[in-house]
Amino acid sequence: MSVTIIRKKKKFSDQPNFSVKKMYRPSDVKETGLAFIGHEISDDGKVMNQFLHYDQLYTIRHGWNSKFFKGLLEGKIWGTRCPKCGDIWVPIRTHCWNLDCDLEITEWIEMPLTAKVHTWTIAGWSGRSSLKRLPIILVYAVIGDSKVAIANELHGIDPWDVEFQMPLKVVFKPKEERVGAVTDFHFEPAEGWTPSPMNPEKERIKKLVEPVYEWVKTMK
Amino acid sequence: MTRRVCIVGGATTPFDYGPTGFESIEGGAAECIREVQRDIPNFSLIDVDLMIYSHFSVHFGHQLCSEWIIHDHLGLVGVPHYRVENGGNTGGSALYAAALAVKSGQHDVVGVIGWETMDSVSQSQGSEFIALASDIRYELLVGGIYPIYYAAMANKWMKDNNVNEEDVASIGAKNRNHAMDNPKAQWYRNEHKYITVDDVMNSRLISYPIKKYDCCLMSRGVAFLLVCSEEYAKKVNPDHYCTLDGLGLSSCTIRAGDRLNFPGWTKRYGEGYPEMTEFGACRASAEMAYKMADIKNPLKEIDFGEIHDAFSTSEAQIYKALGLADTENIAQFLRDEQTHMHGEIPMNPGGGLMGYGHPVGATGIMSSIECFYQLAGMIPKKHLSKKTEVPNANCGIVNSHAGTGTSISNFIMRRH
Ligand SMILES: [Zn+2]
Repeated sequence: MSVTIIRKKKKFSDQPNFSVKKMYRPSDVKETGLAFIGHEISDDGKVMNQFLHYDQLYTIRHGWNSKFFKGLLEGKIWGTRCPKCGDIWVPIRTHCWNLDCDLEITEWIEMPLTAKVHTWTIAGWSGRSSLKRLPIILVYAVIGDSKVAIANELHGIDPWDVEFQMPLKVVFKPKEERVGAVTDFHFEPAEGWTPSPMNPEKERIKKLVEPVYEWVKTMK
Repeated sequence: MTRRVCIVGGATTPFDYGPTGFESIEGGAAECIREVQRDIPNFSLIDVDLMIYSHFSVHFGHQLCSEWIIHDHLGLVGVPHYRVENGGNTGGSALYAAALAVKSGQHDVVGVIGWETMDSVSQSQGSEFIALASDIRYELLVGGIYPIYYAAMANKWMKDNNVNEEDVASIGAKNRNHAMDNPKAQWYRNEHKYITVDDVMNSRLISYPIKKYDCCLMSRGVAFLLVCSEEYAKKVNPDHYCTLDGLGLSSCTIRAGDRLNFPGWTKRYGEGYPEMTEFGACRASAEMAYKMADIKNPLKEIDFGEIHDAFSTSEAQIYKALGLADTENIAQFLRDEQTHMHGEIPMNPGGGLMGYGHPVGATGIMSSIECFYQLAGMIPKKHLSKKTEVPNANCGIVNSHAGTGTSISNFIMRRH
C-alpha cells in the first residue's frame, strides 16, 4: 500500500485581482466599530436608555451578476435571456425561472434604452437617505421586451402628470458620477410624449404633493 | 390521521413606540406568560417541550440571537428552541412551524414568542432597515421603502378594481377606531382618538394613493401564544380552547415587478395573474387553508378575521385574495362596510397593524391571539367593552404577510 504525501496545497481557483478600485465614501465617515456613545436616565430614575453606535462597510460581491452592474458604469442596461424558452429579464437572472428549463444558464443581451410605465406612485416620504429628494415619482417600468418590471425614479415631469403605459427612455448620470448601482440611471418621458390635460385626479395629487415641496425646503 | 392542533392561550405586552412602554424583551415575554397563567391556571412552563421564537430583524434588536436571552430568562434551559424569520410573515411562519411540530406528534406543548423593538432607531432609519428586505441590489435607494412599493401596487389595483381613496380610507379609520377599545393597542395608548375617513384623506402624503393614516405603526412589543395537542388542551383549558383547522403558507417574488409573468403563477392561475396588483401567495395559502378546514364559501363560513393591514390598501387587496369579493364587487363590498363590526365579516376587531401596532416578529402572534380571544369568549375580559366582540363567533381567519406579498400565511381557527 502506497501513501501519497501532498507537500504543496493545490490551488483550486484563481483569485481575481482588483486593479480598478474607487471609493467615494465621505472622508469624515470612519469605521470605528462598536461603541457605547451615551446614555439617558428618566427623571423618576426608573429607566435608562443607552446609545450604541456602529458603522460597518459591507462588500456586496456581485459575482455572476457583475456584468449588469459593470454595464451601468458604461451607460448600458444588460439583460439576460433563456436560450431554451426565450424569456428575457431586467433585473437579470443567471438561471431560467421556468421550472421546465431546469435552471438553464441564461445568456447576456444588451437592452434598448426604452421602457414603458407599468405602474407608478409619488412618494412624499422615504428612507432617511432619500428625504431631501422628495417628492419622488417611482415607476415600475418594463425595459425592452423584458418579462418583468424594474423599479426606478421618473424625472423630468411634474408628479401629477405621470401615466400608466407612458413611454420612457433610460437616462444615465454623467459618467464621472456613476457608481455601478441602479441609482446611476433614471427614467424620463420618451421624446414626443406630452402630458394629458389636468383632471380631478391630477388636481388631487397636486394638492397632496404641494406640502411635500414646502416641507423639503425646511429640511437642513 | 394527523393530530389536531389547538390553541389554549396567549397574551401580548402593550404595544408602544418610543418613550411609552418600558419592559425589556425578556421581561415582556415573562409578563405575557404570567398573563396566560392567570387565564389558564393549570398551564405551567414545565409542560413546554418546544419553544419557537418569532423575530424579524437583528437591525432593530442590535443583538444576534436575542431569543437566547429570552429563553434562559424564562428558565427553559434544556428545552429545544429555534427562531423563525420570514419578514412580516415571521409570526405566521412561527405559528405554522408550531402547528407542524404538534401535528407530527414530535411535540405536545409549544410556546411561540414573537417580538420586535423598532423604536431602537429613528422612524426614517427604521423604514430604511425594513427596505433591506427588498432586493437591495436592484431596489435600494431608488426612492424605495416599503410603503412606496405598496403604493405602486395599490395604485394600479385600485384603478383596475374601481376602488377609490375613500374606500380604502374607511379601513384606516375602522382599525384605529377598533383599537380605541383595546387597552394594549398602540393607537389607544399613544394617539388615542377616534378618527374619520376625512382624517385619513387629509393626513399627509406617504406615497400616492397612501396617506399617513393608511399606514400601520412602527412598534415595540412582545407576544406569546400557546399551541398544543388536543389532549393537553383538554387538560388545561377544556371549555375554551380553539382548534387550528386549516393552515396555508405560500410565496411570491421578492421584487414586485418580477411577478408579472412568473411561470409558477401562470401555470396555476393563468396569464396575467397576480399581475403587480394581486397577492397570489395570499390566494394560494388561503386555498390551502380552506381545503384543509373544509371551507367552501369563506364569506359565509368565516365569521371574522385578524389580517395583515400593513396598509389600508393591502387590507382591501387581501379581502380579494381571500375570496371574499372579486373584481366586479370589491368596490361595493368596501362601500357596504362588510368588514366593519356591523358587516358580514368584521376584520381586525383587535385593531390590526394600524391600530394595535406592528412589532414585526410579534404581529402574526398578536393577530392569532386576538382571533383566539374572540373564539374563546374572552373579548369582554381583554377589551374595554363588547363593542369589538364578534357575537357568536365560531370561525376566524388569521393572516400574516411579508415583503411585497412575498410570503403569506393563512390560518382557520375554530371554537372547540
Ligand atoms: Zn427558460
